[in-house]
Amino acid sequence: MPSLARYIRGIRAVGLKEWWHQMQYIGDVKAGTFVGSDQFGNRYFENLNPEQEVPGRHRWVDFAQHDLNASQVPAEWHAWLSHIRREPPPQDVIMQNSTPSWKAPWVENLTGTRGAYRPYNTVKPKIEAWQPKVAQRGTPLQ
Amino acid sequence: MALLASTRHRALYSLTAARFAASRSLHSSAPVLLPSPSEHNPTSTTSAATPITSIAKHGSNQLSLEQPQNKAEYVLSTLDKVVNWARQGSIWPMTFGLACCAVEMMHMAAARYDQDRLGVVFRASPRQSDLMIVAGTLTNKMAPALRKVYDQMPEPRWVISMGSCANGGGYYHYSYSVVRGCDRIVPVDIYVPGCPPTAEALLYGMLQLQRKMRRTRKNVLWYRK
Repeated sequence: MPSLARYIRGIRAVGLKEWWHQMQYIGDVKAGTFVGSDQFGNRYFENLNPEQEVPGRHRWVDFAQHDLNASQVPAEWHAWLSHIRREPPPQDVIMQNSTPSWKAPWVENLTGTRGAYRPYNTVKPKIEAWQPKVAQRGTPLQ
Repeated sequence: MALLASTRHRALYSLTAARFAASRSLHSSAPVLLPSPSEHNPTSTTSAATPITSIAKHGSNQLSLEQPQNKAEYVLSTLDKVVNWARQGSIWPMTFGLACCAVEMMHMAAARYDQDRLGVVFRASPRQSDLMIVAGTLTNKMAPALRKVYDQMPEPRWVISMGSCANGGGYYHYSYSVVRGCDRIVPVDIYVPGCPPTAEALLYGMLQLQRKMRRTRKNVLWYRK
């Protein structure tokens, strides 16, 4: 369970430098075994001891980018993080054998950049901006 | 030089292809106007120092705004960042729960996803909220009310359209009584897809909205004008 004792134990386990890093990126101190890292340099950890980490928080990712985002986790590691697969991708033989060679490289969410998804459309827009037009009212006085 | 030669080659190729096209009706010429892949930015990268999101911003106005060009702009962009930090840390959404999506919106507020840790607190009054979450089917009857509530919100204001029905009509797209997307009534910042989207998806939408807030450079924009 989260407690001050656990926090201090975590600092002693990971060291001051890693503590500072984790407080910036995770917001907690988590000590565990390093499981692997993906192509982007995100590092994945696991701690199965229920007295050190609450079950459900026992697998986690330490992001490489400062501007972190859950979509930076590639699909294989996402499967491991959310317990779809038991073994991490480097050890998961079934996943390795069933990965097609033509699979496209993983790209994170590009919303807000020029790479954002834009649907391709060729039809006339259904909505048109309102152009105020005022007709001449009344008849001018003679 | 190699590039020049290749374009000349391509031009020649297209000429011959055009001559062939006269005899054969089948279109078989090479796509001459497509630039070679080396002229493009890469579409994926594994570098953490220059991630794909920064590559995708090359040459955009946003990137120019984020890079101060003199001391005044440096001060103003720092001021912008402070304002952005304050705004993204206390988003108060006006709840506009219209249908089943509202249940997922409540889940986001509940203990498991706990929106409060992002500073997101539901506020029942539009005059004291920054964000409107349109959750559910927007009917023609509800549309004027939605617009009125939006108009009562103070600037700056944001809108999240949640679920298929709010995004584009969804299941009721062909109904006579449903607005085909709430973006016909109010300007939308973030569209969250799903029917209904999970609480997790909505929370991810909130994070994307925070990202959008962090990109704002209103003072720099004012200075450059």
